[in-house]
Amino acid sequence: MLTPKRVKWRKVQRGRMTGRAVRGSTLTFGDFGLQAMEPCWMTNRQIEAARIAMTRHIKRGGKVWIKVFPDKPVTKKPAEVRMGSGKGNPEFWVAVVRPGRVLFELSGVEPAIAREALRLAAAKLPIGTKIVAREDVA
Amino acid sequence: MTKDLKLVVEARTKTGSTGAHALRAAGRIPAVIYGHGATPEHVSFDARAFDDLMHHGGRTSIVTLSGAGKNATALVRDVQRHPVTHRVIHADLLRVSANEAVSSKQQVVTVGVARGVRDFGGVMDVIVHELEIEGPANRIPDHLEADVSNLGLHEHLTAADIALPTGFTMLTPGDTIVVAIEASKTAHDLEEAAAGAPEQAQPELIAPATESAE
Repeated sequence: MLTPKRVKWRKVQRGRMTGRAVRGSTLTFGDFGLQAMEPCWMTNRQIEAARIAMTRHIKRGGKVWIKVFPDKPVTKKPAEVRMGSGKGNPEFWVAVVRPGRVLFELSGVEPAIAREALRLAAAKLPIGTKIVAREDVA
Repeated sequence: MTKDLKLVVEARTKTGSTGAHALRAAGRIPAVIYGHGATPEHVSFDARAFDDLMHHGGRTSIVTLSGAGKNATALVRDVQRHPVTHRVIHADLLRVSANEAVSSKQQVVTVGVARGVRDFGGVMDVIVHELEIEGPANRIPDHLEADVSNLGLHEHLTAADIALPTGFTMLTPGDTIVVAIEASKTAHDLEEAAAGAPEQAQPELIAPATESAE
């Protein structure tokens, strides 16, 4: 699963997810991509599940790019613990995704296979997505 | 290639985001016309007419502009799209005359199935999707074709290998790799997934020493 190798701080503030993706909203490497339509915190487990779904469908051949990285630690307090006594422990990592962000890209496979692989990947994600092709975005 | 494309433009006085929002709400697209050393002009045109133009070769053909007291020819230089809806939100038009040499970025379209893909199970990776060329404005091609049928595994095509129409020169450096045939990595990814990813160790902390460790 994707996690940072080095971080400056163990815990970070939550931040905001308002607005649209400023960068990373166009296809840069592949011919097909999966674009986020809603904002979310996408966990590294979700990203990994989507990647596995895609690579299993395209089998051998093709190339996959993951264009989001979960670099934000999320903390949780243990169950049945009273409020206070500081922030909880880091539990998992998320990528902050805003609408318009291209999450995955694919190339080197037939269009029908690429679209089906991206549909299977989309089913692993917590948000609505759209499949984009190079001719749509260019 | 040369097509008879026309676009009716209107001058706009309200520039800035407020004026542009109002125009888009009214079904128009704000645009700018520049080039030939003249002062840039702020114009707008009908969104549907522009979409129609783009579907009929407006990306690479000279467009005759009419209205707003002018009759000029221009090329659609840049189109800004909304990141979510992909609707056109702004366009740049470059004033050109028919035989003037202009530079433009053209899409690369691969032709054929590479030998490395067909016989050795490789993956074709288009590394550069656009190449910059220069030539007469009235003969800009819709796209550039890259014949990949003779490419074996671990072989590539460079910008210098792409055939250009007569009268055009390549501005992208000739040694730029455009298409490469690589071995597939998804098979390796599948084996890795089947084995199950090892539990991730905690990342190394590089914060200043003042942070209290828990």
